[in-house]
Amino acid sequence: MSTTAVVQCWRCQDEHAAQAFCPACHVIQVLPADVDYFSVFGLARNPVLDEVNLTQMYYDLSRQLHPDLHQTGTAEEQEASLKNTALLNRAYWILRDPVQRGQYWLELNGEQLGKANNRVPAQLAVLVFEVQEKLAELREVRTTQAAATLADLKSELEQIRADLDEQMQSFQQKLTTNFAKWEHPDRPQDLLSELKRVLSDMAYLRTLGRDVEKEYSVSWNT
Amino acid sequence: MEHIVGIDLGTTNSLIAYVDEDGPRIIADAKTGHKIVPSIVSFLSDGKIVVGREAGELARTQPLSTIRSVKRFMGLGMEHVSPDDQQRYRFANDQGMVRFAIHDRQYTSPEVSAVILRALREQAEAALKEEVHKVVITVPAYFNDSQRQATKDAGKLAGLDVIRLLNEPTAASLAYGLNTKQEGLIAVYDFGGGTFDVSILRLHTGIFEVLSTSGDMRLGGDDIDQCLAARFLLSDLSEELRRDPQVLSIAHSVAERAKSALSEQDETVLDFSVAEKGIRVSRSLTRQELEEAVDEIVTRTLGPCRQALKDAGLEPHEIEEVVVVGGSTRMPLVRQRVGEFFGRSPLTDLDPDEVVALGAAVQADTLSGRRRDMLLLDVVPLSLGIETMGGVLSHLIERNTTIPASVKEMFTTAVDDQTAVDVHVLQGERELVQDCRSLARFTIPIEPKPAGVPRVEVTFMIDANGILSVSALDLRTGLERSVEVKPSYGLTDDEVEQLLEESIDFAEEDIEQRLLIEARTEADTVLNATHKALHKNASFLRQGEEEQIAQAVQKLREARDGKDYDLIRDLTEELSEATTPFAQRIMDSSIQEVLGEKRLSEL
Repeated sequence: MSTTAVVQCWRCQDEHAAQAFCPACHVIQVLPADVDYFSVFGLARNPVLDEVNLTQMYYDLSRQLHPDLHQTGTAEEQEASLKNTALLNRAYWILRDPVQRGQYWLELNGEQLGKANNRVPAQLAVLVFEVQEKLAELREVRTTQAAATLADLKSELEQIRADLDEQMQSFQQKLTTNFAKWEHPDRPQDLLSELKRVLSDMAYLRTLGRDVEKEYSVSWNT
Repeated sequence: MEHIVGIDLGTTNSLIAYVDEDGPRIIADAKTGHKIVPSIVSFLSDGKIVVGREAGELARTQPLSTIRSVKRFMGLGMEHVSPDDQQRYRFANDQGMVRFAIHDRQYTSPEVSAVILRALREQAEAALKEEVHKVVITVPAYFNDSQRQATKDAGKLAGLDVIRLLNEPTAASLAYGLNTKQEGLIAVYDFGGGTFDVSILRLHTGIFEVLSTSGDMRLGGDDIDQCLAARFLLSDLSEELRRDPQVLSIAHSVAERAKSALSEQDETVLDFSVAEKGIRVSRSLTRQELEEAVDEIVTRTLGPCRQALKDAGLEPHEIEEVVVVGGSTRMPLVRQRVGEFFGRSPLTDLDPDEVVALGAAVQADTLSGRRRDMLLLDVVPLSLGIETMGGVLSHLIERNTTIPASVKEMFTTAVDDQTAVDVHVLQGERELVQDCRSLARFTIPIEPKPAGVPRVEVTFMIDANGILSVSALDLRTGLERSVEVKPSYGLTDDEVEQLLEESIDFAEEDIEQRLLIEARTEADTVLNATHKALHKNASFLRQGEEEQIAQAVQKLREARDGKDYDLIRDLTEELSEATTPFAQRIMDSSIQEVLGEKRLSEL
């Protein structure tokens, strides 16, 4: 865990690049709040990463920083441990998920998805329409308590769920391929906008998936 | 090194454990050998408080002043109290935080829990022969912030330093992991007396990572007992009897015993009689009847199981081991359903009543710095958010986020010269504020400026206990703004302090009172004896003795009506000493008389 910012150790006053433990006296340090999530793991700002490796690094860092292992320390050490672990947890939460990682990476590069994820993605329009219609029907049936219709709807909704999953998988692949192209010297010029579109579509799909899950669990009490 | 002990503060039963050279062990009562302290507290009319088994016996005759399952009420408002519970107890008010009305006092849930914690503490201190201050207390994983805070307050009121609140299924996984050294994906199904929790964990090289947790805060063995009582014991009774606290309390106990018996055998007898109320029911109950009656309750536990798996992105068959915890998992029906759901028989090697306390002791050992090979990465069970325009909840921290977790939110003003911004924090998964649980409100003080100019950054931090704290930083001035959080259903810090002082004052006053009574009794005994002896045996007095004794009597009489028990004791001693030679002479003469009589009789 290191960044280029120079900081001073709260205990021994040693000046060093910001990192989790003072290189001089080895006491835990509060990491600067504005440190980016990639550098929390000592990684370059690259959306392509090995997720298994990330988890291993997360475990290793947790073993150094977690408050449970600093409980006998001074108030300053406990505070530093709490803040750093909260930052580490946040960084891991964002980076382990390709969509959130991609969005975060775009933000670091001064790009915003903006309001784009509120519009219905063109190629998903048919699917989205179908899902919205089913959900409306479900809400309607739920109020009338028609058991037979509700049972029919259940299998239809389960099919929708599977469709959404499949769609998400295909987006996932597209995203990984595009991320990989990023490092390539002769990457396509419109790669950035393509990446933004995929991420935006995935975010949209995810929200839609959540709506489906919500209605599903309300209807069948799961 | 001072021991940090682990406490399972359960709905039905509570236990305390610690780690010695051989590993975690439950601390039993030094006198009785009992490990379990039933979570029952009875308040007697003379101010005495009784805990555990003894209190359980009082539930029959004093149902209104005997609180069972107080955990069900922790951190709740009156609007969350079930109609059944409304019948069984008397409450001081019909809104706001739950307060039991007992005799002429009010007791909050943390106060009642503190009584149980004190009993556990005394049990541990007697067995370990050392003082106990630092504790890890377990809570249901699905407990929200208010319920956690209430548990911490209970610890404080019991004079304990609660260094960590630990989720019960996670505690169980620690005890399990230590025992088996197994790695991989496990599910912990924790069906206790009042709550249901399920957690999915990945165990990997000493890391216990909770992937997801779900549950139902109001689903437990108590519901099974209530269901059995309603169906088999109360159904033929009059409306009035069905609402009688004593009848309900006894029916509940009978149902509980039958449930336990049917975990071992196929048939049992329900013997339900309340002579005072003319109730006499005796009938047999088979396991099959029980299972049919409670099937719906057991089925309700599977919803959260599905949710937890979904949140972890897993299918049931991917779970490599299922650990069952909590007294309700002794029921064969529960084990069967769990087995069917996950497609494998649950692991039952560990005592489901003890495993949580043992796990708490293991975590206490880590926190004391003695153990570094295990680390828990736990999660927050419910999403946390703030109220925005139109009563909509804006999520800041999603459920199943690993704790500690923090998030920053920027606040500004909507009108010119606004001096404060009010923030309402809630917990829950629903979109509308009205469907979520209100946790707290706080006010951020702001310098009067044109609208939109002030910029205050508020940091919401959920610590390793799953408890929220809030701090605010004025970005324009760089000044920290103090934020006073008002819990929606809990005690404020001031109230905890006040209760703590009262309980200490009360305890001291208690002791003072007792010492005074003892001293007065002792003084009265000596004064009486002196009075009698002077009256009957004045002839035994020597020259000047009478005056000396009279003076001592006078001094003691005056002191006796005062409150200085030390003075009373000293003067009692003085009078005793002054009368000793006199008493000796009387005694000697009596002996001679006795001997003389003998002699006479011998003649």
